[in-house]
Amino acid sequence: MLAAVAWAQPPAMQAGVSAKAAVNSVSAHEEYARGQALFSGSVDLHGRIYTHAVDMPPMVVRCSNCHAVADGPEVARSLAPRLTRGLLVLPHARRGGPPSHYSRDSFCALLRKGVDPAFVMISVEMPRYAIDDDDCRALWRYLTGSDPNGSDPTRSDHE
Amino acid sequence: MAAILPAAIMNEAPIDLARRQVCVGAAAACAAALGLGVAAQASAALVAADHGRVDPPVPIPDIPVRRAGDGKPASLAGLLHGRATALHLMFTSCSSVCPMQGAIFERVQDLLPDQQKRGIQLISLSIDPLVDTPRAMRAWLDRFAARKGWIAVAPMPEDLDRLFDLFGQGRDAADTHATQVNIIDRRGDLVFRTPELPSADAIADLLRKV
Repeated sequence: MLAAVAWAQPPAMQAGVSAKAAVNSVSAHEEYARGQALFSGSVDLHGRIYTHAVDMPPMVVRCSNCHAVADGPEVARSLAPRLTRGLLVLPHARRGGPPSHYSRDSFCALLRKGVDPAFVMISVEMPRYAIDDDDCRALWRYLTGSDPNGSDPTRSDHE
Repeated sequence: MAAILPAAIMNEAPIDLARRQVCVGAAAACAAALGLGVAAQASAALVAADHGRVDPPVPIPDIPVRRAGDGKPASLAGLLHGRATALHLMFTSCSSVCPMQGAIFERVQDLLPDQQKRGIQLISLSIDPLVDTPRAMRAWLDRFAARKGWIAVAPMPEDLDRLFDLFGQGRDAADTHATQVNIIDRRGDLVFRTPELPSADAIADLLRKV
């Protein structure tokens, strides 16, 4: 969990940056890294098909099993959309509903309940996840933001 | 061919084949009889047209296949005869829904420890026979700790269309197979098709009743 992030003595503090800015920077970087790990499956996510009574093994509900991210490699023969910042935060008509965009809260609601921002239910193949606020925030940062401690060439805002 | 049944009763509710038989071809009347509202009746007509009891049952044709592991040739009809079978379509290089399908069958085996005694089997049927070698299919089964009674087979490429006609194709060219589970009785007849990605509990329940 992000609560385990080490806050003490971030390098930026030693370079004379204000304490608050340094802490925020470390937090954002850790959050981004956590989101990346959750997306790739190097940290387990827990989810299930919504018609099932038990969770699927974490390895089969990894986001990266189905979704490509930003300009990264495609997932062969998957119908799941490529997750770009633009797809998430700009208005798009999704699943036959009216144009809508995600906020962090509606993104978390989708992961947990399977309902998109236009209140359209997503397909059965997309698991519903038991994900806490910290991890959801981390995934959102990874998918919509950039790594504050470094450049990431895979990031893309274009559609 | 397949029954039209309310989607609401196709998920986690205990499977009652006899009750569903009565509902074949009369979704609205059935929905009313089951106490579902008008909205449920309307959605049932849209989403449930391709799952439920298959009546009359459809004999599975004698399609040649090769088995995971040793690659031994077999006939699909021969493999099915005398056993109650749950069959899904898959391919070993699929990273999206196929691992979920594998995990579901793994749990079915856990739910049916007496599977062999009951004459029940699980079949993973590859839709990518040029890539899915016997070795690749064996490795795929091993990923899910498949035990005796769960086999994987691949058809000849020229038989794929017939198999898609029987067991369902995906929604577009990229999504090349349905994730439904096909229940086949001991005579080798297709008797039931589940909704997409059914639970292991529902599959086990169906297999106990075939």
